[in-house]
Parts: sequence; structure tokens; C-alpha cells
Amino acid sequence: MANDNEILDNIANKEYEFGFVTDIEMDILPAGLNEQTIRYISEKKKEPEWLLEWRLKGFQAFRKQKLPEWQNFTLPPIDFQKISYYAAPRNKKKYNSLDEVDPELLATFEKLGIPLSEQKALAGVAVDAVFDSISVATTYKEKLKELGIIFCSFGEAVQEHPDLVKKYVGSVVPHSDNIFAALNAAVFSDGSFVYIPKGVRCPMELSTYFRINTENTGQFERTLIIADEGSYVSYLEGCTAPMRDENQLHAAVVELIALDNAEIKYSTVQNWYPGDKDGKGGIYNFVTKRGICKTNAKISWTQVETGSAITWKYPSVILQGDNSTGEFYSVAVTRNKQIADTGTKMHHIGRNTRSRIISKGISAGHGQNSYRGLVQIGSKADEARNFTQCDSLLIGDQCGAHTFPYIESKNNTATVEHEATTSKIGEDQIFYLNQRGIDSEKAVALIINGYAREVLNQLPMEFAVEAQKLLSITLEGSVG
Amino acid sequence: MLIIRNLHAEVEDKKILKGIDLTVNAGEVHAIMGPNGSGKSSLASVLAGRENYQVTEGEVLFEGKNLLDMAPEDRAREGLFLAFQYPIEIPGVSNINFLKTALGEIRAYKGQPPLDAKEFLKLSREKQKLVEFDANLVNRSLNEGFSGGEKKRNEIFQLAMLEPSLSILDETDSGLDIDALRIVSQGVNKLRSEKNAFIIITHYQRLLDYIVPDFVHVLYNGRIVKSGTKELALELEEKGYDWLKEESREKATI
Amino acid sequence: MNALQEHTLPLYGKIVDKYHELSAKDAPPLARQSAFHKFQLLGFPTIKNEDWKYTNITRFLKDEYALEAPAVNAPAPLVAKATIPGLECYRLVLVNGTWNGEAVGGTLPKGIDIRRTSEAAKAPEYAGFFSNEFAGTQHFAALNAALYTDGLFIHAAPNAALDKPLHIIHVYTGDRNFWVQPRHVWAAGRNAELSIIESTVSISGEPFIWVNSFTGIFAHPDAKLDHVNLQIAAENVRLISHTSVHQKKQSLYNNYTFTLPGAGLVRNDLQARLEEDHTETHLYGLYLTAGDQLVDNHTLVDHQKPHCFSNELYKGVLLEQSTGVFNGKVYVHRDAQKTNAFQQNNNLVISKKATIDSKPELEIFADDVKCSHGSTVGQFSEDALFYLRARGIGEASARALLINAFAFDITDKIKHAPVADYINQLISHHIPVNHAG
Repeated sequence: MANDNEILDNIANKEYEFGFVTDIEMDILPAGLNEQTIRYISEKKKEPEWLLEWRLKGFQAFRKQKLPEWQNFTLPPIDFQKISYYAAPRNKKKYNSLDEVDPELLATFEKLGIPLSEQKALAGVAVDAVFDSISVATTYKEKLKELGIIFCSFGEAVQEHPDLVKKYVGSVVPHSDNIFAALNAAVFSDGSFVYIPKGVRCPMELSTYFRINTENTGQFERTLIIADEGSYVSYLEGCTAPMRDENQLHAAVVELIALDNAEIKYSTVQNWYPGDKDGKGGIYNFVTKRGICKTNAKISWTQVETGSAITWKYPSVILQGDNSTGEFYSVAVTRNKQIADTGTKMHHIGRNTRSRIISKGISAGHGQNSYRGLVQIGSKADEARNFTQCDSLLIGDQCGAHTFPYIESKNNTATVEHEATTSKIGEDQIFYLNQRGIDSEKAVALIINGYAREVLNQLPMEFAVEAQKLLSITLEGSVG
Repeated sequence: MLIIRNLHAEVEDKKILKGIDLTVNAGEVHAIMGPNGSGKSSLASVLAGRENYQVTEGEVLFEGKNLLDMAPEDRAREGLFLAFQYPIEIPGVSNINFLKTALGEIRAYKGQPPLDAKEFLKLSREKQKLVEFDANLVNRSLNEGFSGGEKKRNEIFQLAMLEPSLSILDETDSGLDIDALRIVSQGVNKLRSEKNAFIIITHYQRLLDYIVPDFVHVLYNGRIVKSGTKELALELEEKGYDWLKEESREKATI
Repeated sequence: MNALQEHTLPLYGKIVDKYHELSAKDAPPLARQSAFHKFQLLGFPTIKNEDWKYTNITRFLKDEYALEAPAVNAPAPLVAKATIPGLECYRLVLVNGTWNGEAVGGTLPKGIDIRRTSEAAKAPEYAGFFSNEFAGTQHFAALNAALYTDGLFIHAAPNAALDKPLHIIHVYTGDRNFWVQPRHVWAAGRNAELSIIESTVSISGEPFIWVNSFTGIFAHPDAKLDHVNLQIAAENVRLISHTSVHQKKQSLYNNYTFTLPGAGLVRNDLQARLEEDHTETHLYGLYLTAGDQLVDNHTLVDHQKPHCFSNELYKGVLLEQSTGVFNGKVYVHRDAQKTNAFQQNNNLVISKKATIDSKPELEIFADDVKCSHGSTVGQFSEDALFYLRARGIGEASARALLINAFAFDITDKIKHAPVADYINQLISHHIPVNHAG
């Protein structure tokens, strides 16, 4: 069997594949955060007065809140004044077709493997791409329009569908929810907007790629998905960023609204720049994701988290309607000096609500992986059911795995089950595979993929393959 | 002893029993056969009073009393015993303590004085021997870690202890090897008398080689579609259930 | 110190006065001094402290308490209530945290030394057990270290063993509200064996009695300690109990904590520190709560060294409008390879108004370990209930039988049959005839 140290070195030396910088002329707002910044962004985006006011309320809330202190790691200080809150490709008006988009930008998306052009979109994925702060292109728009589906940038939605935006923005994640959500409310630049009309089953995966390019910028996108009664949508997001020595902040907000009998499936493959092997640079990924389910509705979160220096996110579901269902499937990998603190919150409010949580943590190198989750059963949530399985796998003796589940039940007809295990990758398993002629490298990839299978299976086909590859690459050489 | 008239029942709005008529007298053994999903086990559950079954029509008289009005424990106290298809494991409740409690409550219901420890032990030993039940199992937690065969034998041991007037054996033969089947059957045969009756629910004729029934009924699609004597079981063994399904379908279309 | 508490709690002022009073008598030892400063920094916990998130004690702190415990004799009925029928044991009684020096059950075996804490603290040979290190870094542990005056000290010399268990009865009684802070130290020397059963009883009704107790337990190499803790005090008692266990090489520590309906507030902090390799630790707990009770069990198993085994099983049965809290932390340090740590918390919520908050935690920094935890919240299995009823057992009896069965996993682990029988009796006594809905 290969030498542990050698292999651990291998992981450490592995470079980030998506670390290139794109050279495009940008409109960048100087670093700094004050009311003027917010007014500038709002004006730049020609926003209505009510939205500016909402942003300012978010800013007030942000100023009142402190950085969290409950985490089990030391959060490096964040200087919010050193961040630029708006960066957009200069050459920007409104693109009527992809031909008008800066070829350099298109090349970037090519490198990222995003099927941005119409031809590539034959894969059946409609893509909205957010480059730094601005949504640059949305493919497949016409086809979706026929079904009455709205899939556009958030900025466009504010202009074209103000009633929908006004009704739902902040309805699931209020402007004062937490410090990062408040910051997002104040300075969010763009993001995606989806509306699926009553009874419509969206025929293709909707997808957004996020990319942070410019130095010293933060990315603060906001995603709002509304699935009207009886509709269905599957939505994917992917993220990358160039290698920078500085830490960059990503504080996004995602709000999902599943009305009666609707279903939203939200998948994320997060591969932001994780920093180098000494923990220099990398993205701080502090994201607030929450959905609300009305009667018989279902929201399912699936995430594969391999990037970012620090990940902090808890995609949650408010199970307000009777018979609604929330699901959370997660694979989180940390290596080098990465920290992932992720999990979910399931708030059971309605009767007969169901939730299922499957979390698989993998820690290698000096990585620290925490599952933090809340299952809350309200006094009216009769017959509520939750099942949680959360497993941790350790590769090497310098990493850590932590589990912090909170179970709160006020109902005597509810059933909650939580199970967690921690173990190292089995030497006997690797040996068994070696004995069948499989080298240790492939054996680990096989075992990891098997370990994460339950989660990967939840991803749409095209993404599952990508995620599987990403997992194998991320942990290349990590024989324990 | 037992009179079932036009019994209809459903589970979660699904109709399971669609008009059962059956009379069982003391001293009789009735076999109820039928393909999977025909409603055999549902009938047992309805008679024992499982709560998720809704009786929508019909009546059941047990020793002249309305069975369907009674709580499950009162049915048991009146003398109805169900040998479960899947006996429950209850860790922490010892088999013997459980039986002592059950017997105590049944006797109290009948106005009989409780057995003292010595009498109970004596009775328990006697019955263990009668049904060849391992003394070690008696002292373990109720069915916990028992093999399939041991669980079924425990059901028969309980039957022997509680001395019901009507026993319903719900697929007691399923999952049993031939030795276990022999032991279980011998136990039942020893317990058969002029005063009690048995309803044996089974999918296969095999058990009926050991416990010879007086009557055989075939249940299909929630109804008894054919009744006969033990020869009917042999016929089913030979021809399967398909011919009966055909027949009942023809009837239905007429 | 939280300014709000400082100004609103008359208790806080009394605590400061008490400390100065104690200091005036004797120059305070360093341990006492640093503990007091620690408490001044920490103050009383509020629900903003993660460890007290589910346990709000503010309303209990608002009552007026005297910091002097009344010196009274033990009322015979209370001692009788705590006495375990059929148990061969040595027995001694502490009233309001003070032992009068009497013990029944015969002469103690050689090498077993029992004294009042106040005496032991002065003995040079025992100085190590009262050092700064063990003063405590938590709110109430720090307060205890700052203000304790007495308690029970038990020492087993190397290879010494108790030939029968030692039953300690803590009686709390008085005619006015008071606050008492007993401090106990129990130490088993190399290869020594101690079996201790504690019972906490009290008068009921008036007055309010706040017990802030701290027990330091030291298991030297190869020592074996068996520790049963029976909490059966009445509703007027607020019981904060901190047990800090220190285990050396190949030692064994078993703890069985039973909390029954009664005391309005119970908070148990049980912390086992596995300071050397190859130790074994079993923590069993059962909380049966009723009325307005708030019962909070916080446990920590701190795996510092390799090849240690720990197993924890806590079960809760929640009746009426009571609240149960379980927080179990297993911490595995980087050095603690080959750790086996298991933790399980199961809860049976019987009544509609009961609440359970469960927070099992794993913090793991070593890779070659086997650790797991589980937590469940549920009710009776309907199938089990039906099975019992189908055998003629009435619904109420069937429920009682199932609660006993649920508790059996814990009571079964107790080594002394009379103790297990006694506890089963207590449990049966508290199981309501009908709690359906």
C-alpha cells in the first residue's frame, strides 16, 4: 500500500483546476460600504423606490448585527470596507443573442465547461450565468416562455415582473435574518429568478453558473424560485472562482417558495476556490438558503461541496403546509485547511410533515468538517416524521469531523430518528479491492463514490457524472 | 361460537373484505386458504381488533356477544386468541412476566382468583412440556432475538397458557422448517378439544397434513368463494388457485 | 458578569458577601480565589450560553435564598424513603451537605477512609484533590469551588476494596429558602474498588432549596468505580449537580443516573476525562419526568488518549408538561487513536404537552476511531401495544409494561439486584395509569 505521507502530500499539492483569471474590462465600484454604495447599485440597476428602501432596511439590519460566535473554529476578521460591492463587465447593455457577448467571457464559460451556447444547450439545460455580479446570458428563454415559465436574471425580473418580486422577495429569508443575509439584502447585485406557473412541469433542468472573477469583489447574488400550485422544477447551480491570495466573500441568498402541491429540486455543485495548501486565499462561502413548503409541497436540497476556504450554509425547509416534505442530501469534502460547517434545518409546522436528511462528510489533510442541523417539531405537527443519517469519513490523522445535531420536539405523535457514525476509510476495503487488481487510488475513488452514492443519486444525470468526477479529483491520492 | 355475517372492512379507504359469512362451532377446525392478498390476514386482524381496519358493514358475534364493539384486550379476555404471523419483539419485557400479566388480567376479567407464583410456575412448566418450548426462551425478553421458528412456537406456548376458546393461527406455518412445523402442529393437536375451535389461515396445504381441518374455505378478493372439506385443500394443492379465480370472475360478470 | 443579573438578583450580592465572609475567616486558598474570579466573570448562565440553550434558570434564581444551610437532624421518614430494602451496605447520611460522622453497616475495610471534606481539605496527604486545577471552569462548578464549606471525602488506598456498597443519603430539609453547596471528593487508588450509591431526598412543599453540588472522582490506574445516582428529591428542590471524573490507565468507571419525578429543576453535568490509555467508561441514564419538571442531562466524554472505550446510553420518558434536555458530547483528541465511543439517547414522549430537546454531539480529531451516536424521539410502537392487548392485557397496563421495558435497558445494567428492584418500584409508582393523549 502506498505511503500515507506521500499520498497526503499529493492531495496537498493538487492544484485548483478552475483558477484562471479572465481579462475583461470591468466596471468596478471602489471598495467600501455605506448608504451611497447601496444607492449607487440600486440606481445603476434602475430599481424602483420600494426595492431601494428594502435594501436600505437590509443595510440598517446589517449594521446592528455582529459576526457569529457559535462556530467551532476561529473566523478571521472580515473587513467589509475592503470589498467592492459591484463589478460588471463594462461592455454591457443587454444581450439580445449570444453573438453579442464578449468573446473573452464566452471563452471563460467554455473553459468552465458550461453549455452556454445554444448548440451545447442541446444537453437540455437552460443556463443563466452570473459573472461576478451580473447575469450575462440566459439561454433557452424562448422555449421556456411558451410554457409561461420565467427564467431570467434577478435584475430583469425586477424590471419585467415587479409584482412577483415584490410579493416574494424576503418572504422566506427576511432582510434581517442574519448578518450575511442582511448584507446581501443591502448590496445584492444580481442573481436568478424563476417562476413556474400553475400545473406546469418544467421540461428541462434550469441552471445557473456563478463565477467570481475580479479581485477584491464580493459576490452577493440572490436567487428566488417560485413554484406555483402543482408545478415542478429542478434547478442547478455551479460555482467557481480564480485563485487569489486574498479571501473573497460570497454571501448569497436563495429563497424557494413551493405553493400547494408544487415541488422544487435544488442542486448545487460548489467548487469555489478553496485557497492553497497553507490555507491562503479562497472563498468565504456564507450562504443563506431556505425554502417554504405549502400543503403537499416538497423541497429537496442536494449539495456537493468541494470548494471554498470556509463554507457556512444550512439549506433549510419550513414545512408549513400539511403533508409537506423536506429533504437534504449533502456531500461535503474538506482538505488542506478547508473548513465546512454545513447542515440543514427542518421546521415541522404542519401536520404529517416529513423530512429526510442524509449528510456525508469527508475530511482529508487538515480539513475540518462539521454537520450542524436542527430538526424542530412544533406542537401542531402531529405525526411528523424525520430521519437523519449523518456519516463522517476521515482520511489522515490531521483532520476533524464534527456532528452537532439539535432535536427539539414538542409533539408526542412525532417520530425523530438521528444516527451518526464516524470512521476512517477501511484498510480492509482497500486491500480487498487491491486483491482484485484495483490500485489504491482507484479503490479510494470507488469507496468514496460508494459512500456518497445516496447523495449523488439525487443529482440530475449530467450533474451526477460531473460531481462524481469532482469528488475523485478532489481526493486524488488520498489513500489512508 | 363465532358467527360472521356480511363482514366488510377497509384499510386506508381500500376495500379489503367484501362480505364474509362464516360460522364456527365449538370443536371445529376451519382452514382458510387463498392466494396472497386475498384478505386472509386482514380477516384475522379485523377479528382481533387491529385499529387501522375499518369495519364498514356486517357483524361478528362471539359467544353471542358483539365482538366488533370490544377493545382488543376484551376480545382476548373473552377467549379469542390470535397467533400472529409476525410476532412482535419487545425488548425489556420478559416472556414470563408478560404471560403472568396477561393471564392475571384474563382471570380477573372472568372473576377468577389470580394464580399464585407456585401455581403459575407449575402451569408454565406443564405447558412448556406440552408444546415442547425451550425453558431458556421462557425467561428471555419477549421474542427478542428469537428465530422465526422460536417465535411461532412461543405463540403456541402462549396459546396453551391462555386457553382461549377460539384460536386464529395466522400463517403460523410460514417460514417454518418441517421439524418446527411438526412441533407446532402437535402442540395444536394436543390443545384441540370439544370445547374450543381453531381458524387456521394458510397459503399452503402442507400444514393441513398435520392439523386436519373439518372445513376448508377459500378466500379470494375479500370473499369466501368456495367452501368444502379437507379434500378441497388437496384439490387446491393440485390445481392451484387460478381455476377459482376464473370461476369467481365468471360469477362476477354474471 | 452580566450587568442585568448583577442588579436584579439579590442572590448575587449575597454571594459576594458570603465570599468575603469566608475570606475574612481564613485567607482564601488560591483555588477558592481563582474560582470566585471565574464566577464573577461568568455570572449565572442564561439561554444565550450554548450549554444552557434549553434550560432557563432565571425564574428559579429570582427567589430569595439564604446562603447558610440550616443545621438540623435528618427526619427519619426521609431516611426511610431513601433506604433500599434488602441492600447489604454501609450507610451514612448527609443533612444539607454535612455528615455527622456516623455510619451504619459495620467497620469499614482497611484502607477505606471517609471524612468530612472540611477535614480532608486540611490534610496534607490529600492536598492534591483540592488544587486549583479542579476548581471548575463552569458557572456553577466555579461557584461551588468558591463557596463550598463541606461535603464527603472518600479515599480507597491502593488495592483496598469495599466489601459491600456504600450508600450515601443526601437529605435536604429546612424551614426557609436556602442554598447549599456541598463538595465531595471520591478517590480510588491504584487497583482499588469502590461501589457507591447516592440518593438525594428532601422535604416537600416549602421551602425552596437550591443544591449546587460538585463531586470530583478520581480513578487511579486499574481502579474500578461503580456509581449509582438516584435523584428523588421533591418539587421544591433545584438540583445542580456537577460530577467531574478523572480516569487513569486501565481504570473503569460506571455511572448510573436516575432522575424521577420531583425536583422542579435538575441539571446534571457529568464529565468523564479519560486522561490515560485503555480506560473503560459506561454512562447510563434514565430520566422519567412529570409535572412542570425541567430535567437536563449534559454529559461529556473526553477521549484524550488512545485505546479507550466509552459507551453511553440515556433514556427519557416524558410525562405531563415536563421538559427533558439531553446533551451528550464525545470529544476525541488527535492523540486518541483507536478510540471506541458510542452514545445513544432515546426518548419516549408520552404526553401531548411534554417537550424534549436532544443534542448528541461528536467532535472527532483522530482518524482511526469508531464513534457513533444516535438519538430518537418517539412513542410506543403501536404494534407492540396491539400485541399486548391481543393477549388480554388492558391498555393502561400495556403502556406501563412498555415503559418499564423501555427503562429496562438501564435498570438491567445495575449490579445490585435490590437497587434495581427498588428503582423499578419507583418507576412503576410514577407511571400513570392513563396518559393516552
